[in-house]
Parts: sequence; structure tokens; C-alpha cells
Amino acid sequence: MKAVKVDKLIPGMVLAQDVLIPSTGVTLLPSNAVLTLEMIRRITSFNISVVFIADPQKSEEEKTEEILAPAMAQAHENVVAAVRDIVTNPEDQLFEEQIIAGLVGELLEHVEMDASLFLNLTHLKTYDNYLFSHSVNVSILALLIGEQLNYSSEELNQLGVAALLHDIGMLKVPMEIWRKSGTLTPDEYQEIRNHPLYGEEILAAKNMSKEIRAVAAQHHERFDGSGYPNKLKSSEINYKARIVALADVYDACISERPYRERITPQEALRLIVADQELYDPQILKVFISTMAVYPIGSLVKLNTGEIGKVIKVRNKQPFRPVLQIYFDREEKLLDEPIRLDLSEDANHLLFIKDTLSPVQHKKALAEIGKNRNQ
Amino acid sequence: MKAVYINPFLNAAYNVIKDIAGAEATKGELSLDSSPIKGDEVNVVIGVTGDLTGQIIFCLTEKTALVLASKMLFTLATDTFDELAKSAIGELGNMIIGNAVTELAEKGFICDLTPPALFIGKNVTVSTAVSQFLVIPFQTNFGKLDINVALKETT
Repeated sequence: MKAVKVDKLIPGMVLAQDVLIPSTGVTLLPSNAVLTLEMIRRITSFNISVVFIADPQKSEEEKTEEILAPAMAQAHENVVAAVRDIVTNPEDQLFEEQIIAGLVGELLEHVEMDASLFLNLTHLKTYDNYLFSHSVNVSILALLIGEQLNYSSEELNQLGVAALLHDIGMLKVPMEIWRKSGTLTPDEYQEIRNHPLYGEEILAAKNMSKEIRAVAAQHHERFDGSGYPNKLKSSEINYKARIVALADVYDACISERPYRERITPQEALRLIVADQELYDPQILKVFISTMAVYPIGSLVKLNTGEIGKVIKVRNKQPFRPVLQIYFDREEKLLDEPIRLDLSEDANHLLFIKDTLSPVQHKKALAEIGKNRNQ
Repeated sequence: MKAVYINPFLNAAYNVIKDIAGAEATKGELSLDSSPIKGDEVNVVIGVTGDLTGQIIFCLTEKTALVLASKMLFTLATDTFDELAKSAIGELGNMIIGNAVTELAEKGFICDLTPPALFIGKNVTVSTAVSQFLVIPFQTNFGKLDINVALKETT
């Protein structure tokens, strides 16, 4: 329990003691009440200077998340390693649709369990493993879209496998080209643009199904016909390839690449929508409502001034995520972050006013990280 | 009805629309009408309790609503009023009342506002708690938005 000045109260804090109206002694708010904006206003309107706030208690949802998160991180890592081992060895007996479908089954299980929590992991990637963690992330994102499109489990599985293998042609492109940070020569550029065809060849040699090969071959085609290698457009492009194209671009945007810094999740969405003619409009809509207007990992500022990180996105509520509030309205780092679910009716007077700029984003993350390590 | 508690809603609507759409809204001639309110194609109803009692109802054409929704979705082309557009307009309502409630509190009115309820369709009528309501038309360069205010001080 700690005493908090009234002007430092933050929605989501829990009262440790009853708040009494000073003049009458009548209970204004009972202990254990979770503060909302209206309650804070009401407290402020009386001559109360300090209230007692309980130490943060974890909700059932948070407790479940704490158990699930490390298991999911482990699963993510395992799948990345398995994909790497299988696809880097084309002679491998395990390089077979059935086996890879098993890995997708594992991803799908976690997506269904808690998609938000699993998506958080797509932000953790090691540069060395880029190709493989990227493939796994694209597969997770594609599965999320497929779920919203009501795909059958069979369709989902095929989509997941196709997404895991979409970039396999990159293995034929010399490492120094796709890791190069400077400008590519025309020949090198052409080599990169060959990777969809290389991918299709590899997958054909492995007797993968037609759809899976089509996704590898067409994931750089664009809806308006501006893609490569064949400038296919709209319905000429395999539907699953259109899904993977979007997932691929999004994950590439939020990743750190040798030639540029990573951009924030919302900036990635903004860039994609700015070029919306490149993507299937229906899939794009599903993607935005799934990722939400403030995607997981975004740092946002509330109308009341507090700053928090989007940690969970509720289905069908793209504007109302769950936040972890890290900074008070004076932008001072809190000792303990406070969880705030904007999808709850009690919090409907709070809204996200702004997303932090990339510079502010980086600075805030550094500060949060520093505090955690102490 | 008094300007002191109507103005916070007007200011909030004006500022939020300006923020989102980057467009100035001009306020038209105010008029009084009697209950029920006959809605437009898209209607956002907000209940008010606490120091004030009544409703605030935003009425807009689908075309105007789609432009605003698109602006809230990074200018995503939005041609049908689907779930995504609905959630954008619902959030627009939240933003307006979230701003209004702050100004109301500064003026000494502590109010609870219900989450915005969305009603779609030309034939929507809303019976208000007070017999007469104020109509405030806003004109923007992408369409019209009426704000209907039916409020009284709680006795």
C-alpha cells in the first residue's frame, strides 16, 4: 500500500482503503475499487489530497500470461531452430510437407491460445536468425489472417506451411547480397528478385503441393500488377500468396535490417496503408482489424497524458487495446507498471490520443528497459 | 439548456474533428426541435447522468461517416460501413465525450457518460429525456454532422 497524491492518480490503480468525503465522512468509494477516470474526477472534486493505493495485484489473465509466455517463447525458438535445420539441408529426410505441417500445428496451437501473447514474440528476433525467425513470424501473422477468414484447419495448415517456406529461395541467394547494407548492384538486385523462382524450384523438387509452391513463387507479386517476377495482378495472384505478401511486408518493416532501422508497428501499418493498392483490399481490412490500429508493441499516449505500451489486442476492438502504463502524465517512469484495459466499459472516457514518434519510442523503451534491469 | 454545459460538447466535437480530419468545421445556425430526434444514416447516442441528465446524439450521413472512419484508419479506402468503420466511428464518439467530460468537470459538472451506442439507418428516432432539444449543425468540407443536445441539470 502506498499514499498517492490525488493529482498522481492513474486509472487502473486499486484503492487500498475506502475514500471518505471529508466533510461528512460518507464513503465516496470503497476499498478495492479499480479507479476509472470518473472516479478520479469525483475524488478531485472533493477536498481530498491523498488516497491509499494497493500494491498491484495480478489478474487471472496476467497470471495465465506469466505461465504461458516462457512456454510460448520456447516454442517459438524451437520452431525457428527446426525450420533452420530442415530447410538448410535440402537432402534432409525431414524436409517434407507432413513434418513442416507439424511445426505449423504447434504455431497454430499457440495462436489459438493467446494470439496477442504470441505476437509479442515476433518482436524478439535475433539478427543472425533473421531469415528463419522472419519465416516463423510471417507464418504466425498469416495464420492470424487465415483464422479471421474462417479458414478450415486444413486450409490454415497449408497457409502456415506456405508462409514458413515462402522465402526459402533466399537460401540460393549468396548471403553477402541479402546482408549487404550498401546499395545493390543491378546484378545483385536481380539475384534478390530471383528468390521467388528459386523457392518454387526447391519446393517443386521436394514435391510440395501446388499452393505452397505458388506462395513462394508469387509472394512478391502485387495486387496492382507492380510486383515481380511476373507482374501478376489481382485475381491472377494465388490467394494465399496475397495473404503472405502482406504478412511478409509487415514483419520486414518491424524488423531491424542491415540497411535501415526498424520502424514502429503503427508506422508499419501506416506505410502499408499508404500503398494500399499493392494489397488485396479485403485481406488488408482483415489485417488491420486483427493487428488493430495500435498494434502490439506500440507506445501510446492517453488523453489524460499517461504513456503505455500495447500488450494485448482484443478481437474486434482495434481502437481499444490493453495497455501497460509505464509513465505518468508528467512522463515520469512509474515504479510498477499499471495494466489498463481500454476495452472495459469503465475506461471508455480514456482514449489513445497519440502514438509516440520513432525517436520518443526508442527513448521510452530504453528508459523502461533500464528500470527493469535495476 | 445552458451554454455552460453545451459548449464543452461543441468544443470537443470541433477539436476532435479538426484533429482527425485536419479540416475546420463551421458551426451553422442553432435551432430547437422537440422530441423525438429523427436520425440520419449514422447515429451515435451517448447517455449522460450525474450532475446533468439526458442525451447527446451525433447524426451524420454515411458518406461523412466513411470519410471520418477512413481518416482514423490511416486513410484506408473505406467504401462500406463495415465493422471496422463502425469501430472507428464509435471511437470518434469516445474521443469527443472523453474531451467533453474534462471541460465539463472544469465547469463544475461531474458527469458519467455511457459508452457511445451506434444506430445505423435512416429511420432511427430517439426519444429524449427532455421534451426539447438543441440542434447544432456542423459543416465540413466532406459533409455535414448534426449534434443534438438534450440535457438538463439533475435536480
